[in-house]
Amino acid sequence: MDDIYIILVASLFSISCGLLGSFLILRRMAMVGDAISHAVLPGIVIAFLISGSRDSFEMIIGAALLGLITSFLIEFFHKKANLQTDAAIGVTFTWLFALGIILISVFAGQVDLDQECVLYGEIAYVPLDLWITDAGLNMGPKALYVSAFILAAVIIFLSFGYRYLHITTFDSAFAASIGISIGLWHYLLMGMVSMTTVAAFDSVGAILVVALFVVPAATSYLLTRKLKSMLLMTVLLSFLNSFLGYYLASTINGSISGAIASTSGVFFLLAFLFSPIDGIWIKAIKRNFDKSKNTSKTKFNKIFKE
Amino acid sequence: MINKSKIILVLYLSFCFFACKQNSNPINEGQVTIVSTTGMIADMIKNIVKEKAIVSSLMGPGVDPHLYKATQGDLKLLQAADLIVYNGLHLEGKMTEILENLSNIKNVEAISNHITQDSILSDPQHPSSPDPHIWFDVKLWSSAIDGILPVLINLDTSQKEYFTSNALAYKKTLHNLDAEVKSTLESIPHEQRILITAHDAFKYYGHAYNIEVRGLQGISTLSEFGLKDRVDLVDFIVKRKIHAVFVESSVSQKNIMAIVEGCKQKGHNIIIGDSLFSDAMGAENTPEGSYIGMVRSNTHSIVNGLTNKKE
Repeated sequence: MDDIYIILVASLFSISCGLLGSFLILRRMAMVGDAISHAVLPGIVIAFLISGSRDSFEMIIGAALLGLITSFLIEFFHKKANLQTDAAIGVTFTWLFALGIILISVFAGQVDLDQECVLYGEIAYVPLDLWITDAGLNMGPKALYVSAFILAAVIIFLSFGYRYLHITTFDSAFAASIGISIGLWHYLLMGMVSMTTVAAFDSVGAILVVALFVVPAATSYLLTRKLKSMLLMTVLLSFLNSFLGYYLASTINGSISGAIASTSGVFFLLAFLFSPIDGIWIKAIKRNFDKSKNTSKTKFNKIFKE
Repeated sequence: MINKSKIILVLYLSFCFFACKQNSNPINEGQVTIVSTTGMIADMIKNIVKEKAIVSSLMGPGVDPHLYKATQGDLKLLQAADLIVYNGLHLEGKMTEILENLSNIKNVEAISNHITQDSILSDPQHPSSPDPHIWFDVKLWSSAIDGILPVLINLDTSQKEYFTSNALAYKKTLHNLDAEVKSTLESIPHEQRILITAHDAFKYYGHAYNIEVRGLQGISTLSEFGLKDRVDLVDFIVKRKIHAVFVESSVSQKNIMAIVEGCKQKGHNIIIGDSLFSDAMGAENTPEGSYIGMVRSNTHSIVNGLTNKKE
């Protein structure tokens, strides 16, 4: 049963992250997940200073708030200062992380407080972190409920917003001309990203989340050029990653998140080599084919001219 | 092309399944199994139950419990355990919360609940966040034996007498160890009883054995050491003519090296004392691989360093 819980939680979070990550990649904001993982630090410190406790609940509230502020600041710098998105992401998260470190050394230097020990969960402990009602009834792992809720929210958001997200992602000028608010859809997407990121941090840990946002989506980007099939392929890959990654971890008795992230890397490598669109193998064959065509052409020209 | 990638995928899949078939479960049936988080706890329990139970700890030698990452096997160990014992006071980070919650349906005990509660040190600014490094006060640590003994007897009531006599013997050993640490430290002159280490893990040690403890950073591994703190500390060392600063087995040496350099520039030579064991014990099958050996080794390193006997 433990195996099923872990694979299920990993795949549910992986699918949520992958679906949102596909849009992030197309908008050149792939590293937002990583940015949020650092930028939540001041939120954690402030939540601790206000509540005086290091329980998950307070930490998640603080982290979620900072996640939203991060995505707001990124868009703000991008729009108002005309900064490239990657630069805006870089400025925002390093600045917020530094702020968090200063807050710790000034106010809480004697307290063990960092994301690693108060926010980031560990996927191996998913089957242990149970929801137990006041009556002592065991309702199963908490993370299962959280991940199912997040996935439901992501799917509802995408099914309502798909057309708007599609058009603001690919042709923002056209979107603006027909009266779709680009800013609104950006903030909605980023809001979903922050919520998913923070919830996933709490249940499965940071490395995994950052990888899940980028790698499966990037892999399917190599395999297809249609948004819909990219999303579908991401879902499929997310599930495969979690499943194979878990069994890899159990084989080598290693870290589960490490194994899942590595498996997704293996899939990316396969796509990179053998993708029918962009794979370097097919490119090499095409090049050879073109070359042989070219040479025969020049030969033909030569003969013709002579 | 697609065929090739499919073949590789299938190969990879089958490799995974084949590989996990071979993986057999090493957990022993029939005997009582006890899992602890840190090696110090496992050592205490081993000394009480001896060969009557299988005791294992999740965190091996040299592991920082604040940053510990679980493996897939850990989960199996925890699920199969008849008793889980952890340190508590947030030493295990987020895992503390999970274990607390798990105690509703499983046999889970926190060592920190069984020690003399008045002796728990905490920062006056944040009273809700106590210092978790309780094992460095030998007397305090041994006070947990009384609390944990009934829990162990509950696991196997037939061994009541055996466990009790083992616990008494171990308590006596720890009592002697406590006296030994005190008398060994006597050889350090009073004004030089200052322990400077990289990570603030020795507050309980200092409190119990009358040594002033100065850390280079706070308890959190993220809190940085300010420039001014560094200058102040160097001045302090030069003024008090302290002979040695210490590094710990589970914390990096960088910050300590900066202090050594700073003192050199002021014309005061300071040595780096032998490495101290802080959050984890030494390697298995070495003297430092047990709680007693670890305390002894730390005490000798501190005495040697501060009295400038060796090196």
